[in-house]
Amino acid sequence: MGKEVYLFAANILVWVGLGCYVAFLATSQKRLERRLNRLEILNDDN
Amino acid sequence: MLGAALAVARKDLKLALSGAQGLVQTVLLGLLLIFIMSLSREPGEMSPPLAAAAIFWLATAFGQILVFNFLYGLEEAEGARLGLLLSPAPTQSVWLGKAVAGWVLLFCCQLVFAPAAVAFLGQSVAGSVGLGLLVVAAVDWGLCALGSLLGALSVGRSSRESLLTVILFPLLVPALLAGIRLLETVISGRGLEAVGAWTGTVVAFDAVFTAAALILFPFLYTGEE
Amino acid sequence: MIRLCALAAAAVSILAQYAIWFYAPVEETMGEVQKIFYTHMPMAWWSLVSFVVVFVASILYLAKRRDVYARLAGAAAELGVLMSGLALATGMCWAKPIWGVWWTWDPRLTTTLVMWFVYAAYLLLRASDVGGQRKDTVLAVLGIVAFLDVPLVFISARYWRSIHPAVLGSQGGGMEPEMWLAMAANLVAMGLLWLALLAARTKQLAAGAAVTALLRHGASRN
Repeated sequence: MGKEVYLFAANILVWVGLGCYVAFLATSQKRLERRLNRLEILNDDN
Repeated sequence: MLGAALAVARKDLKLALSGAQGLVQTVLLGLLLIFIMSLSREPGEMSPPLAAAAIFWLATAFGQILVFNFLYGLEEAEGARLGLLLSPAPTQSVWLGKAVAGWVLLFCCQLVFAPAAVAFLGQSVAGSVGLGLLVVAAVDWGLCALGSLLGALSVGRSSRESLLTVILFPLLVPALLAGIRLLETVISGRGLEAVGAWTGTVVAFDAVFTAAALILFPFLYTGEE
Repeated sequence: MIRLCALAAAAVSILAQYAIWFYAPVEETMGEVQKIFYTHMPMAWWSLVSFVVVFVASILYLAKRRDVYARLAGAAAELGVLMSGLALATGMCWAKPIWGVWWTWDPRLTTTLVMWFVYAAYLLLRASDVGGQRKDTVLAVLGIVAFLDVPLVFISARYWRSIHPAVLGSQGGGMEPEMWLAMAANLVAMGLLWLALLAARTKQLAAGAAVTALLRHGASRN
Protein backbone atom coordinates (compact mmCIF):
# COMPACT_ATOMS: atom_id res chain seq x y z
CA MET A 1 0.00 0.00 0.00
CA GLY A 2 1.61 3.22 -1.15
CA LYS A 3 1.41 6.50 0.62
CA GLU A 4 -0.81 7.98 -2.12
CA VAL A 5 -3.70 6.08 -0.54
CA TYR A 6 -3.74 8.68 2.20
CA LEU A 7 -3.99 11.46 -0.36
CA PHE A 8 -6.93 9.74 -2.07
CA ALA A 9 -8.58 9.08 1.29
CA ALA A 10 -8.24 12.71 2.40
CA ASN A 11 -9.65 14.04 -0.85
CA ILE A 12 -12.56 11.61 -0.82
CA LEU A 13 -13.29 12.41 2.82
CA VAL A 14 -13.54 16.11 2.09
CA TRP A 15 -15.91 15.72 -0.81
CA VAL A 16 -18.04 13.12 0.94
CA GLY A 17 -18.30 15.44 3.93
CA LEU A 18 -19.33 18.40 1.83
CA GLY A 19 -21.71 16.19 -0.13
CA CYS A 20 -23.37 15.04 3.07
CA TYR A 21 -23.94 18.64 4.11
CA VAL A 22 -25.46 19.51 0.73
CA ALA A 23 -27.69 16.43 1.03
CA PHE A 24 -28.73 17.63 4.47
CA LEU A 25 -29.60 21.04 3.02
CA ALA A 26 -31.62 19.35 0.28
CA THR A 27 -33.66 17.24 2.72
CA SER A 28 -34.37 20.26 4.92
CA GLN A 29 -35.51 22.11 1.81
CA LYS A 30 -37.85 19.21 0.94
CA ARG A 31 -39.30 19.26 4.42
CA LEU A 32 -39.80 23.00 4.16
CA GLU A 33 -41.68 22.60 0.88
CA ARG A 34 -43.92 19.94 2.40
CA ARG A 35 -44.78 22.26 5.27
CA LEU A 36 -45.47 25.08 2.83
CA ASN A 37 -47.87 22.82 0.91
CA ARG A 38 -49.69 21.98 4.10
CA LEU A 39 -49.96 25.69 4.81
CA GLU A 40 -51.52 26.30 1.39
CA ILE A 41 -54.07 23.55 1.97
CA LEU A 42 -54.88 25.11 5.31
CA ASN A 43 -55.43 28.46 3.64
CA ASP A 44 -57.65 26.98 0.89
CA ASP A 45 -60.01 25.65 3.54
CA ASN A 46 -60.79 29.12 4.77
CA MET B 1 -23.29 45.17 43.98
CA LEU B 2 -20.83 43.47 46.31
CA GLY B 3 -23.20 43.62 49.25
CA ALA B 4 -26.03 42.10 47.23
CA ALA B 5 -23.68 39.44 45.88
CA LEU B 6 -22.58 38.51 49.38
CA ALA B 7 -26.20 38.31 50.48
CA VAL B 8 -26.97 35.92 47.61
CA ALA B 9 -23.89 33.86 48.41
CA ARG B 10 -24.73 33.68 52.12
CA LYS B 11 -28.31 32.63 51.39
CA ASP B 12 -27.17 29.92 48.94
CA LEU B 13 -24.54 28.58 51.31
CA LYS B 14 -27.07 28.42 54.12
CA LEU B 15 -29.52 26.52 51.94
CA ALA B 16 -26.82 24.20 50.61
CA LEU B 17 -25.35 23.38 54.01
CA SER B 18 -28.63 23.07 55.92
CA GLY B 19 -30.26 20.70 53.46
CA ALA B 20 -26.83 19.31 52.58
CA GLN B 21 -28.37 17.15 49.88
CA GLY B 22 -26.62 18.92 47.01
CA LEU B 23 -23.24 18.84 48.66
CA VAL B 24 -23.44 15.20 49.73
CA GLN B 25 -24.29 14.10 46.21
CA THR B 26 -21.34 16.04 44.82
CA VAL B 27 -18.90 14.60 47.35
CA LEU B 28 -20.17 11.07 46.78
CA LEU B 29 -19.90 11.35 43.01
CA GLY B 30 -16.36 12.70 43.26
CA LEU B 31 -15.28 9.96 45.67
CA LEU B 32 -16.79 7.33 43.39
CA LEU B 33 -14.93 8.75 40.40
CA ILE B 34 -11.62 8.74 42.26
CA PHE B 35 -12.23 5.18 43.47
CA ILE B 36 -13.15 3.92 40.01
CA MET B 37 -10.17 5.67 38.45
CA SER B 38 -7.91 3.95 40.96
CA LEU B 39 -8.71 0.75 39.07
CA SER B 40 -6.48 2.01 36.27
CA ARG B 41 -3.36 0.97 38.21
CA GLU B 42 -2.16 -2.43 39.31
CA PRO B 43 -2.68 -3.16 43.04
CA GLY B 44 0.26 -1.94 45.06
CA GLU B 45 1.49 0.31 42.29
CA MET B 46 1.58 4.12 42.49
CA SER B 47 -0.32 6.20 39.97
CA PRO B 48 1.93 8.79 38.33
CA PRO B 49 1.38 12.27 39.83
CA LEU B 50 0.05 13.53 36.49
CA ALA B 51 -2.68 10.87 36.48
CA ALA B 52 -3.60 11.65 40.09
CA ALA B 53 -3.86 15.37 39.33
CA ALA B 54 -5.99 14.67 36.25
CA ILE B 55 -8.37 12.44 38.23
CA PHE B 56 -8.65 15.06 40.97
CA TRP B 57 -9.64 17.74 38.46
CA LEU B 58 -12.01 15.38 36.68
CA ALA B 59 -13.83 14.79 39.97
CA THR B 60 -13.88 18.55 40.50
CA ALA B 61 -15.30 19.23 37.04
CA PHE B 62 -18.15 16.78 37.53
CA GLY B 63 -18.77 18.14 41.00
CA GLN B 64 -18.96 21.63 39.60
CA ILE B 65 -21.80 20.68 37.27
CA LEU B 66 -23.85 19.36 40.19
CA VAL B 67 -23.04 22.41 42.33
CA PHE B 68 -24.21 24.93 39.77
CA ASN B 69 -27.26 22.94 38.76
CA PHE B 70 -28.16 22.92 42.44
CA LEU B 71 -27.47 26.64 42.96
CA TYR B 72 -29.55 27.74 39.98
CA GLY B 73 -32.17 25.10 40.64
CA LEU B 74 -32.85 26.81 43.97
CA GLU B 75 -34.21 29.89 42.22
CA GLU B 76 -36.69 27.97 40.06
CA ALA B 77 -38.99 27.11 42.96
CA GLU B 78 -41.82 29.54 43.78
CA GLY B 79 -40.63 32.05 41.19
CA ALA B 80 -37.62 33.05 43.29
CA ARG B 81 -35.80 34.03 40.11
CA LEU B 82 -38.30 36.80 39.41
CA GLY B 83 -37.85 38.05 42.95
CA LEU B 84 -34.08 38.20 42.50
CA LEU B 85 -34.43 40.01 39.19
CA LEU B 86 -36.93 42.52 40.58
CA SER B 87 -34.72 43.44 43.51
CA PRO B 88 -32.87 46.73 42.96
CA ALA B 89 -29.46 44.99 42.93
CA PRO B 90 -27.76 44.68 39.51
CA THR B 91 -28.18 41.31 37.82
CA GLN B 92 -24.43 40.74 37.90
CA SER B 93 -24.58 40.43 41.67
CA VAL B 94 -26.57 37.22 41.21
CA TRP B 95 -23.77 35.87 39.05
CA LEU B 96 -21.14 36.95 41.56
CA GLY B 97 -23.07 35.59 44.51
CA LYS B 98 -23.58 32.22 42.87
CA ALA B 99 -19.95 32.09 41.75
CA VAL B 100 -18.73 32.79 45.29
CA ALA B 101 -21.14 30.26 46.80
CA GLY B 102 -20.13 27.67 44.19
CA TRP B 103 -16.48 28.42 44.84
CA VAL B 104 -16.85 27.79 48.57
CA LEU B 105 -18.88 24.61 48.02
CA LEU B 106 -16.43 23.30 45.43
CA PHE B 107 -13.53 23.98 47.75
CA CYS B 108 -15.27 22.06 50.53
CA CYS B 109 -15.71 19.11 48.17
CA GLN B 110 -12.07 19.26 47.17
CA LEU B 111 -11.05 19.09 50.82
CA VAL B 112 -12.58 15.61 50.72
CA PHE B 113 -11.27 14.72 47.25
CA ALA B 114 -7.65 15.57 48.04
CA PRO B 115 -7.10 13.04 50.85
CA ALA B 116 -9.13 10.51 48.86
CA ALA B 117 -6.84 11.00 45.86
CA VAL B 118 -3.79 10.64 48.07
CA ALA B 119 -5.14 7.46 49.64
CA PHE B 120 -6.69 5.68 46.66
CA LEU B 121 -4.08 6.67 44.11
CA GLY B 122 -1.09 6.11 46.37
CA GLN B 123 0.37 9.60 46.28
CA SER B 124 2.83 11.30 48.58
CA VAL B 125 2.94 15.07 48.44
CA ALA B 126 6.48 16.33 47.93
CA GLY B 127 5.73 20.01 47.24
CA SER B 128 4.27 22.61 49.58
CA VAL B 129 0.62 22.23 50.59
CA GLY B 130 0.14 26.00 50.79
CA LEU B 131 1.07 26.40 47.12
CA GLY B 132 -1.30 23.56 46.30
CA LEU B 133 -4.21 25.28 48.06
CA LEU B 134 -3.40 28.52 46.24
CA VAL B 135 -3.34 26.74 42.87
CA VAL B 136 -6.62 24.97 43.55
CA ALA B 137 -8.27 28.21 44.71
CA ALA B 138 -7.12 30.14 41.62
CA VAL B 139 -8.20 27.47 39.15
CA ASP B 140 -11.49 27.04 41.01
CA TRP B 141 -12.29 30.70 40.52
CA GLY B 142 -12.00 30.28 36.74
CA LEU B 143 -14.20 27.18 36.84
CA CYS B 144 -16.80 28.96 38.98
CA ALA B 145 -16.82 32.16 36.90
CA LEU B 146 -17.67 30.14 33.80
CA GLY B 147 -19.85 27.66 35.67
CA SER B 148 -21.94 30.44 37.19
CA LEU B 149 -22.39 32.07 33.78
CA LEU B 150 -23.38 28.88 31.98
CA GLY B 151 -25.30 27.52 34.96
CA ALA B 152 -27.85 30.16 34.08
CA LEU B 153 -28.41 28.16 30.86
CA SER B 154 -30.26 25.52 32.80
CA VAL B 155 -32.92 27.87 34.14
CA GLY B 156 -36.46 28.03 32.85
CA ARG B 157 -39.09 25.53 31.97
CA SER B 158 -37.28 23.61 29.30
CA SER B 159 -33.92 22.98 30.89
CA ARG B 160 -31.86 19.91 30.20
CA GLU B 161 -29.10 19.75 32.73
CA SER B 162 -27.09 17.09 30.96
CA LEU B 163 -26.42 19.56 28.16
CA LEU B 164 -24.40 21.67 30.57
CA THR B 165 -21.64 19.05 30.79
CA VAL B 166 -21.23 18.85 27.04
CA ILE B 167 -20.84 22.57 26.64
CA LEU B 168 -18.91 23.33 29.83
CA PHE B 169 -16.21 20.66 29.72
CA PRO B 170 -14.53 21.65 26.45
CA LEU B 171 -14.62 25.31 27.48
CA LEU B 172 -12.86 24.43 30.74
CA VAL B 173 -9.96 22.72 28.96
CA PRO B 174 -7.41 25.55 29.44
CA ALA B 175 -8.12 25.87 33.17
CA LEU B 176 -8.08 22.11 33.64
CA LEU B 177 -4.79 21.69 31.77
CA ALA B 178 -3.22 24.40 33.91
CA GLY B 179 -4.70 22.91 37.08
CA ILE B 180 -3.44 19.43 36.25
CA ARG B 181 0.09 20.60 35.46
CA LEU B 182 0.34 22.85 38.52
CA LEU B 183 -1.02 20.18 40.82
CA GLU B 184 1.41 17.66 39.36
CA THR B 185 4.21 20.10 40.20
CA VAL B 186 2.94 20.37 43.77
CA ILE B 187 2.61 16.61 44.21
CA SER B 188 5.92 15.63 42.66
CA GLY B 189 7.91 18.74 43.58
CA ARG B 190 9.39 18.76 40.07
CA GLY B 191 8.91 20.98 37.03
CA LEU B 192 8.91 24.26 38.92
CA GLU B 193 10.29 26.17 35.93
CA ALA B 194 6.95 25.98 34.09
CA VAL B 195 4.92 27.33 37.02
CA GLY B 196 5.14 30.94 35.80
CA ALA B 197 3.68 30.18 32.38
CA TRP B 198 0.84 28.10 33.82
CA THR B 199 0.04 30.70 36.45
CA GLY B 200 -0.26 33.23 33.63
CA THR B 201 -2.71 30.94 31.85
CA VAL B 202 -4.84 30.56 34.97
CA VAL B 203 -4.88 34.31 35.63
CA ALA B 204 -5.79 35.01 31.99
CA PHE B 205 -8.59 32.43 32.12
CA ASP B 206 -9.96 33.89 35.36
CA ALA B 207 -9.79 37.45 34.04
CA VAL B 208 -11.31 36.74 30.61
CA PHE B 209 -14.29 34.82 31.91
CA THR B 210 -14.92 37.11 34.88
CA ALA B 211 -15.08 40.06 32.49
CA ALA B 212 -17.17 38.14 29.95
CA ALA B 213 -19.60 37.02 32.66
CA LEU B 214 -20.02 40.55 34.00
CA ILE B 215 -21.00 41.74 30.53
CA LEU B 216 -23.00 38.73 29.32
CA PHE B 217 -24.83 37.53 32.42
CA PRO B 218 -27.68 40.10 32.27
CA PHE B 219 -28.56 38.82 28.78
CA LEU B 220 -28.73 35.26 30.02
CA TYR B 221 -30.51 35.65 33.33
CA THR B 222 -33.91 37.14 32.61
CA GLY B 223 -37.49 36.66 33.68
CA GLU B 224 -38.57 34.87 30.51
CA GLU B 225 -39.46 31.20 30.72
CA MET C 1 -26.04 35.49 -5.73
CA ILE C 2 -26.03 32.01 -4.20
CA ARG C 3 -26.29 30.42 -7.64
CA LEU C 4 -23.46 32.56 -8.96
CA CYS C 5 -21.27 31.68 -5.99
CA ALA C 6 -22.02 27.99 -6.36
CA LEU C 7 -21.24 28.02 -10.09
CA ALA C 8 -18.00 29.89 -9.52
CA ALA C 9 -17.12 27.45 -6.73
CA ALA C 10 -17.71 24.50 -9.06
CA ALA C 11 -15.54 26.01 -11.79
CA VAL C 12 -12.68 26.93 -9.45
CA SER C 13 -12.94 23.55 -7.69
CA ILE C 14 -12.32 21.73 -10.96
CA LEU C 15 -9.30 23.93 -11.52
CA ALA C 16 -8.12 23.37 -7.97
CA GLN C 17 -8.47 19.60 -8.31
CA TYR C 18 -6.45 19.74 -11.51
CA ALA C 19 -3.83 21.76 -9.63
CA ILE C 20 -3.64 19.18 -6.86
CA TRP C 21 -3.27 16.13 -9.06
CA PHE C 22 -1.29 17.40 -12.04
CA TYR C 23 0.00 20.94 -11.66
CA ALA C 24 1.58 21.08 -8.19
CA PRO C 25 5.08 19.58 -7.99
CA VAL C 26 5.72 16.58 -5.76
CA GLU C 27 7.48 17.61 -2.57
CA GLU C 28 10.88 15.97 -2.12
CA THR C 29 10.89 14.67 1.44
CA MET C 30 7.21 13.90 1.96
CA GLY C 31 6.25 12.85 -1.55
CA GLU C 32 2.65 12.67 -2.73
CA VAL C 33 1.30 12.85 0.81
CA GLN C 34 2.23 16.52 1.05
CA LYS C 35 -0.60 17.22 -1.40
CA ILE C 36 -3.12 16.55 1.36
CA PHE C 37 -2.06 19.99 2.53
CA TYR C 38 -4.02 21.54 -0.35
CA THR C 39 -7.31 20.09 0.89
CA HIS C 40 -6.44 20.33 4.57
CA MET C 41 -5.45 23.99 4.70
CA PRO C 42 -8.64 25.48 3.15
CA MET C 43 -10.74 23.41 5.56
CA ALA C 44 -8.83 24.68 8.60
CA TRP C 45 -8.85 28.22 7.28
CA TRP C 46 -12.53 28.49 6.45
CA SER C 47 -13.60 26.73 9.64
CA LEU C 48 -11.76 29.40 11.60
CA VAL C 49 -13.46 32.09 9.50
CA SER C 50 -16.81 30.42 10.28
CA PHE C 51 -16.12 30.65 14.00
CA VAL C 52 -15.21 34.32 13.65
CA VAL C 53 -18.54 34.81 11.85
CA VAL C 54 -20.36 33.08 14.73
CA PHE C 55 -18.62 35.41 17.19
CA VAL C 56 -19.37 38.61 15.28
CA ALA C 57 -22.96 37.61 14.48
CA SER C 58 -23.53 36.74 18.16
CA ILE C 59 -22.34 40.16 19.28
CA LEU C 60 -24.51 41.81 16.64
CA TYR C 61 -27.49 39.76 17.77
CA LEU C 62 -27.09 40.84 21.39
CA ALA C 63 -26.70 44.48 20.30
CA LYS C 64 -29.41 44.71 17.65
CA ARG C 65 -31.73 41.75 18.43
CA ARG C 66 -32.38 40.95 14.80
CA ASP C 67 -33.16 37.33 13.95
CA VAL C 68 -31.02 37.36 10.84
CA TYR C 69 -27.86 37.46 12.97
CA ALA C 70 -28.96 34.46 15.02
CA ARG C 71 -29.57 32.51 11.81
CA LEU C 72 -26.25 33.60 10.34
CA ALA C 73 -24.49 32.40 13.51
CA GLY C 74 -26.31 29.07 13.30
CA ALA C 75 -25.41 28.51 9.66
CA ALA C 76 -21.79 29.52 10.24
CA ALA C 77 -21.51 27.19 13.24
CA GLU C 78 -22.76 24.27 11.14
CA LEU C 79 -20.20 24.98 8.43
CA GLY C 80 -17.49 25.49 11.04
CA VAL C 81 -18.14 22.13 12.69
CA LEU C 82 -18.26 20.40 9.31
CA MET C 83 -15.06 21.98 8.05
CA SER C 84 -13.05 21.66 11.25
CA GLY C 85 -14.12 18.02 11.38
CA LEU C 86 -12.85 17.56 7.84
CA ALA C 87 -9.67 19.46 8.68
CA LEU C 88 -9.08 17.04 11.56
CA ALA C 89 -9.79 14.02 9.38
CA THR C 90 -7.47 15.16 6.58
CA GLY C 91 -4.88 16.17 9.16
CA MET C 92 -4.95 12.62 10.52
CA CYS C 93 -4.53 11.23 7.01
CA TRP C 94 -1.43 13.39 6.74
CA ALA C 95 -0.03 12.64 10.20
CA LYS C 96 -0.19 8.85 9.84
CA PRO C 97 2.29 8.46 6.96
CA ILE C 98 4.50 11.41 7.99
CA TRP C 99 4.67 11.18 11.77
CA GLY C 100 3.63 7.53 12.06
CA VAL C 101 0.74 8.30 14.42
CA TRP C 102 -2.86 9.34 13.83
CA TRP C 103 -2.82 11.90 16.59
CA THR C 104 -0.26 13.98 18.40
CA TRP C 105 -0.42 16.71 21.00
CA ASP C 106 0.13 19.60 18.62
CA PRO C 107 -1.38 22.93 19.75
CA ARG C 108 -3.16 23.43 16.44
CA LEU C 109 -4.62 19.93 16.43
CA THR C 110 -5.73 20.20 20.04
CA THR C 111 -7.24 23.64 19.54
CA THR C 112 -9.14 22.45 16.49
CA LEU C 113 -10.42 19.41 18.34
CA VAL C 114 -11.56 21.44 21.36
CA MET C 115 -13.23 23.96 19.06
CA TRP C 116 -14.95 21.11 17.29
CA PHE C 117 -16.29 19.86 20.64
CA VAL C 118 -17.45 23.32 21.71
CA TYR C 119 -19.27 24.13 18.50
CA ALA C 120 -20.73 20.64 18.20
CA ALA C 121 -22.23 21.22 21.65
CA TYR C 122 -23.42 24.62 20.41
CA LEU C 123 -25.25 22.90 17.54
CA LEU C 124 -26.69 20.35 19.96
CA LEU C 125 -28.06 23.19 22.08
CA ARG C 126 -29.39 24.85 18.96
CA ALA C 127 -31.30 21.71 18.03
CA SER C 128 -32.69 21.32 21.57
CA ASP C 129 -35.23 23.59 23.21
CA VAL C 130 -32.81 25.05 25.73
CA GLY C 131 -33.74 28.41 27.16
CA GLY C 132 -37.25 28.43 25.68
CA GLN C 133 -38.00 31.92 24.42
CA ARG C 134 -34.47 33.02 25.24
CA LYS C 135 -32.87 30.39 23.01
CA ASP C 136 -31.31 32.79 20.53
CA THR C 137 -29.92 34.95 23.33
CA VAL C 138 -28.50 31.94 25.14
CA LEU C 139 -26.85 30.75 21.94
CA ALA C 140 -25.43 34.19 21.21
CA VAL C 141 -23.83 34.30 24.66
CA LEU C 142 -22.43 30.85 24.05
CA GLY C 143 -21.08 31.88 20.65
CA ILE C 144 -19.15 34.72 22.28
CA VAL C 145 -17.84 32.66 25.21
CA ALA C 146 -16.75 29.85 22.88
CA PHE C 147 -14.67 32.17 20.76
CA LEU C 148 -13.04 33.81 23.80
CA ASP C 149 -11.88 30.34 24.78
CA VAL C 150 -9.97 29.68 21.56
CA PRO C 151 -6.75 31.64 22.32
CA LEU C 152 -6.66 30.24 25.86
CA VAL C 153 -6.93 26.69 24.56
CA PHE C 154 -4.17 27.35 22.07
CA ILE C 155 -1.80 28.80 24.68
CA SER C 156 -2.40 26.05 27.21
CA ALA C 157 -2.05 23.34 24.57
CA ARG C 158 1.29 24.82 23.58
CA TYR C 159 2.58 24.85 27.16
CA TRP C 160 1.34 21.32 27.72
CA ARG C 161 3.86 19.98 25.30
CA SER C 162 6.94 22.14 25.57
CA ILE C 163 8.51 20.77 22.37
CA HIS C 164 6.48 22.61 19.80
CA PRO C 165 6.64 20.74 16.49
CA ALA C 166 6.92 23.57 13.99
CA VAL C 167 5.81 21.38 11.11
CA LEU C 168 3.51 23.80 9.41
CA GLY C 169 5.77 26.75 10.11
CA SER C 170 8.82 25.29 8.41
CA GLN C 171 6.74 24.17 5.46
CA GLY C 172 5.57 27.67 4.56
CA GLY C 173 9.11 28.84 3.95
CA GLY C 174 10.09 26.20 1.43
CA MET C 175 7.10 26.32 -0.89
CA GLU C 176 7.55 26.74 -4.60
CA PRO C 177 5.47 29.23 -6.61
CA GLU C 178 3.44 26.42 -8.19
CA MET C 179 2.59 25.19 -4.72
CA TRP C 180 1.42 28.63 -3.67
CA LEU C 181 -0.77 28.83 -6.77
CA ALA C 182 -2.32 25.42 -6.15
CA MET C 183 -2.86 26.41 -2.53
CA ALA C 184 -4.53 29.70 -3.51
CA ALA C 185 -6.80 27.94 -6.03
CA ASN C 186 -7.98 25.50 -3.40
CA LEU C 187 -8.45 28.25 -0.86
CA VAL C 188 -10.56 30.31 -3.25
CA ALA C 189 -12.59 27.30 -4.39
CA MET C 190 -13.48 26.35 -0.81
CA GLY C 191 -14.11 29.99 0.04
CA LEU C 192 -16.68 30.34 -2.74
CA LEU C 193 -18.31 27.07 -1.77
CA TRP C 194 -18.34 28.19 1.87
CA LEU C 195 -19.99 31.48 0.96
CA ALA C 196 -22.62 29.76 -1.18
CA LEU C 197 -23.45 27.22 1.53
CA LEU C 198 -23.54 29.89 4.23
CA ALA C 199 -25.90 32.10 2.25
CA ALA C 200 -28.12 29.16 1.25
CA ARG C 201 -28.37 27.82 4.79
CA THR C 202 -29.10 31.28 6.27
CA LYS C 203 -31.85 31.80 3.71
CA GLN C 204 -33.25 28.34 4.38
CA LEU C 205 -33.35 28.95 8.12
CA ALA C 206 -35.19 32.23 7.51
CA ALA C 207 -37.71 30.47 5.27
CA GLY C 208 -38.21 27.76 7.91
CA ALA C 209 -38.85 30.37 10.59
CA ALA C 210 -41.33 32.16 8.33
CA VAL C 211 -43.25 28.95 7.62
CA THR C 212 -43.35 28.09 11.31
CA ALA C 213 -44.69 31.54 12.11
CA LEU C 214 -47.35 31.27 9.39
CA LEU C 215 -48.43 27.82 10.57
CA ARG C 216 -48.76 29.06 14.14
CA HIS C 217 -50.70 32.07 12.94
CA GLY C 218 -52.97 29.87 10.84
CA ALA C 219 -53.55 27.48 13.74
CA SER C 220 -54.45 30.28 16.11
CA ARG C 221 -56.86 31.80 13.59
CA ASN C 222 -58.84 28.61 12.96
